[in-house]
Parts: sequence; structure tokens; C-alpha cells
Amino acid sequence: MSFTDKVTIPPQVMARQVGEETVILDLESGTYYGLDPVGARIWQLLGEGRAPAEVCDVMLAEYEVSREDLERDLSDLLDALIDKSLIKIEPA
Amino acid sequence: MEILLSRQEERPQLPADKAPFHEWTFPGGAVWTYFYRKGNDYLLRFPELADFEVSSSGDSVRCWAVPGVSDATIDHLYLNQVLPLALGKQGEFVFHASAIEVDRFAVAFMGESGRGKSTLAASFATSGFRFLTDDGLLVKEEGGGYQVLPSHPSIRLWQDSEVALLAENAPSAPPVQYTSKARFLAEDNLVFCGEARPLRHVYFLGDGAAKRVELEGLSPSEALIELVKHSFLLDIEEQTLLARHFDRLTRLVSRPIFYRLDFPRRYQALAQVRQAILEHATEESEAA
Repeated sequence: MSFTDKVTIPPQVMARQVGEETVILDLESGTYYGLDPVGARIWQLLGEGRAPAEVCDVMLAEYEVSREDLERDLSDLLDALIDKSLIKIEPA
Repeated sequence: MEILLSRQEERPQLPADKAPFHEWTFPGGAVWTYFYRKGNDYLLRFPELADFEVSSSGDSVRCWAVPGVSDATIDHLYLNQVLPLALGKQGEFVFHASAIEVDRFAVAFMGESGRGKSTLAASFATSGFRFLTDDGLLVKEEGGGYQVLPSHPSIRLWQDSEVALLAENAPSAPPVQYTSKARFLAEDNLVFCGEARPLRHVYFLGDGAAKRVELEGLSPSEALIELVKHSFLLDIEEQTLLARHFDRLTRLVSRPIFYRLDFPRRYQALAQVRQAILEHATEESEAA
């Protein structure tokens, strides 16, 4: 996966913000997942159609974090979301 | 919300022609309920006890008892398992929880089997408070709020809770065949609340590891996951119903009314637990 890839959320994946967190429901499997406030913000940005590179820029402006740490954490989260079929990646 | 139950002739359980799409199991792994599809309807099989067929709309149920299974057992399965599932199929909010009345509000206790839902409800109901339900908590969204509806006026207790909480001659319903829990009917010393009450608090019961009474607020996402675990949902593969349920739960958990409650599982500690819950409810109402 590259940070310039296009990320989409499949139609069978529902997400709702509850408080500062986000809960995701995969209707296909009936499985629920929780995202903490930082994960929730990333999910929100992905939902707006932003590529991971753009997400990274926004997060760097909003949080006190090094680009290196952020890119690693974002990459881990995206891998987990892909693994659970909660997002799809299309090459840009 | 009407459900029609019709009892059919007893019959042995024949092997089903397809695999179940879902199962409920006991903690030890034995299957308690098999969920099968039957056209658009559902067959709920309680092994060695009974088959219940629930219509796709959830408004009618047909029941076939296995020969020799008592009426009390069938009534019990219907009221505690099948009816909540059928109501859930109709789009109602039904949870594995007991509830009591405090200060004209409802306070609910949710948790897995054996966590003390019934014991807490009976403890309040024998101490000057009224209970709304022992299990199958029905919650209605109404006028921007949530109302808890009363259910069957009985409480099921294991024998140790029964000895600790009830008088020796408390009126009980006929025993059922799948549990040694006895069901006690509402009476003067076990008082039932037959009116709907606004939902004030929901307590998720811990495993009893606490050394003293512990109360802690849950985040909305924690509360949502707990509510999902304790929902009566007949068809977890029906995406429209699942999506609707999820949306409604999202609205419900936006209210700061969800707590984790744990306490040592000693009957002598129950008075202290009741006191903590009452003080908590009163603090909240004074703050409101």
C-alpha cells in the first residue's frame, strides 16, 4: 500500500461517532470495532475521501507527533482496517 | 407489539435439514439454542426441550414441546428466550437485564448469566423497592427519552439466593426442567412495578473480583459494545435490522447513564450495594 492510494469504505461498513470515539459495524460479519479519538479522526478524514498522505498532513497539523511516528501508526491502522475488510485500497 | 403463541402437539426433535446459522452455547460449550432458517421464518431449537418457530415478522410463534417436557418449562423458555427474540425481530429494544424502580425511575442491571442480575433485582424487591423485570428488559424510545416496560412479574433465583433473600414460604411457580433456578412470583414481599418507568441508569455487572463496591462510568463506545453483547437479536445476519439496531444504540449511548458495577459476591454485602446504587441515583437526580 502506498500513501497516495485511494481509500474507500465499503457500503456494508457502518461507522458512527459516539462521544470522541467511533464504533464501526461490519454488517456482513456482524462484528463491531472501536476506534479511540485519534483513530476516529483518521477514520473521519478517510471517510471524506482523503488519501493517507493527506490524512498524514492534517494529523501533523493537529497533533504533536513526529512524521515518522505518525506514518508508522497510520500504516499500522490502515493495515488492520484492510485486514478486517473495513476499507479498500485502490492504486491512485 | 402483539405476539401470538400457538402450542402444537408434542413431537420428538427430528434432525434439521440444514445447518444452523447461529448458536447460543453455555459457558462449558454445550449448545443451548440452535437458530435455523425455515424459508423466511426461523426455527429455534432448545435441544431435548422444545422447538419454536418464529414468523419472519416476529408477530407469531408456534411451539412443539418434546414429549414429557413440562408446561412450566415451555412457558419459561417462551417468556425468557423466545418472546424477547421475537420482540427484537419486530424492531424492539430488548436486553438481557433486570430492572428495578428507584424514585419513579428505572435502574437496570446487565450482565452475563451468573453475574447477579436476578439477585440484585430480588434484593431490591425484598427491601421496599419494586422490580420491573427479571430478564428481557424492554426499552421504548418515547418523546426523546427511554421508557422501561414491565415484563413478567416473577424472578428466577438459584437456591443460595433464594435462601438468603426470600421467606421460606415465598410463592413459587412450578419448577422448570433445564435449570435448578426456581421462579418466584411477585407478592407482598417481592413487589412488582407494573408501570413503565423512564430509564435512569444502566449498570453492567462485573465478575465479582472487586473487594468493595466499585462504580465507574463507561465511555459511549464501551457502553455500545456492552449493549450489543446483551441485545436479543434473532437474526444477526439481517443487515437492515442490524443497521437500525446500531443506529438506535448510538443514540442511546449518547446519554451518560452507563456504568460498570462490581462488588464482592457475598449476600451480606447486598445492603451496601443497594445503598451505593441508591446514593448514586440520588446524586445524579440532584445534579440534574
